[in-house]
Amino acid sequence: MKKLLIGCALSIGVSVQAQELYVFSEPASNMPAHSVGIRQQVKRVASSGTATGGTRSSSEIMFGANKNFMWHLGFTLSDMYSSNFRAESFRAYGKYRFFSQDDLYKHLRMAAFAEFSLSQNPFMFDEISLEGDQSGFQSGLIITQLLHKLAISATGSYISVAGKRSTGDLTPNKRNAVSYSLSAGYLLFPVTYKNYDQTNVNLYLELLGQQSTNDNRYFTDLAPALQFIFNSQAKVNFGYRYQLSGNMLRMGTQGWLLGMEWLFLRKPKPLVSK
Amino acid sequence: MKLIYLCLFLLMGSLSTSAQITSGKLQASGLTCAMCSKAVYNALSAVPYVEKVQPDIQQSTYQLTFKVDVAVDPDLLARAVTDAGFSVAKLQLTGQFPETAIGKDTHVTLYNQVYHFVNVNAQVLKGKQTITLLDKSFLLPKEHKKYAQYTTMACYNTGTRQSCCPPAGAAQSARVYHVTL
Repeated sequence: MKKLLIGCALSIGVSVQAQELYVFSEPASNMPAHSVGIRQQVKRVASSGTATGGTRSSSEIMFGANKNFMWHLGFTLSDMYSSNFRAESFRAYGKYRFFSQDDLYKHLRMAAFAEFSLSQNPFMFDEISLEGDQSGFQSGLIITQLLHKLAISATGSYISVAGKRSTGDLTPNKRNAVSYSLSAGYLLFPVTYKNYDQTNVNLYLELLGQQSTNDNRYFTDLAPALQFIFNSQAKVNFGYRYQLSGNMLRMGTQGWLLGMEWLFLRKPKPLVSK
Repeated sequence: MKLIYLCLFLLMGSLSTSAQITSGKLQASGLTCAMCSKAVYNALSAVPYVEKVQPDIQQSTYQLTFKVDVAVDPDLLARAVTDAGFSVAKLQLTGQFPETAIGKDTHVTLYNQVYHFVNVNAQVLKGKQTITLLDKSFLLPKEHKKYAQYTTMACYNTGTRQSCCPPAGAAQSARVYHVTL
């Protein structure tokens, strides 16, 4: 077992570009076939006039089923909707890469994704989030372009809350929205690659937004982030997200994120000639 | 007993010097970073006939050394790279060639694989040679298109034996690797 773990630890890798490993969104690229990843994030939402804020822990396991399809399973714990830290939600996410055009140091990729979440939180806010806040469904498209050290990506999705709002609220019970993100990632270091042990540093800037389809409520957030990748193995993310503009009732309009991720590239099965 | 070992040793020696593809140089496309390069490195290392992989992360190239006397199936290298999430931009194979006459659109069988030579002058290959694969799965699309002008044979696009390929009557679905020098 120990050998297996060491073997896994030594063979970690991903097929997505490092500068595509966005902190607040997903790229169109996938994990390598048959690989497994673990992600642990802690998010702190600052209190605002309408909510107390709180802390959320998200744990996720990710699988590369084949070169085009990957899926995530995750659960969250938080004190955002309760006085104590408690189990909060379960989430499943699947992504299928349907277009890939590779060139030297470049690629263009497109993927479709769908996710659903089951949360025990009351539905209190205008913002729809499947990261623990609400039960719901989301589906959309991602397009990602890598240009040497820069990777840009856009996501558009339709997101819908399952379930009703907490009683006493006058706003509609059903809530749907269009979500979008525009993300850029840049590889700062190393300037020149020599080996797999060099620490990589990536800088990200993401624009994240949501527009309700029920009424004229929206928000637009800006989210800068810094990422360190050690030994081509482990990632550490620091992100800050704050609202640029918006009129949605939200849990909070700014927050911090600390994330860690380990990706285990299992030794591929021996390939056999067809 | 010693005599048996000596015979075995000599036999192995004679096998190891027999003609075969011994090494390769692969360039992957669609990546720039070390994590991605490592994913490709791991995938290539797991190909059964690959003995050793030496990566050049900056150039996205991998120098491959093949095991002695294990059949080399180039398609497995392309599958390894695509399973890791990327593509092959270029693959060159180096080996010891028996005396082989080649020319435009010559199909030759070497080490149980059929190679179709494209854009080469009539000549006789012998000894150490390096060939570059031209099939879609081993080349950037624009490069694959560029070489299409040098052959009119349908197998260039399918990668499998067509009615145009000699010898007549051979299995049509058999793999044909398109190569140039």
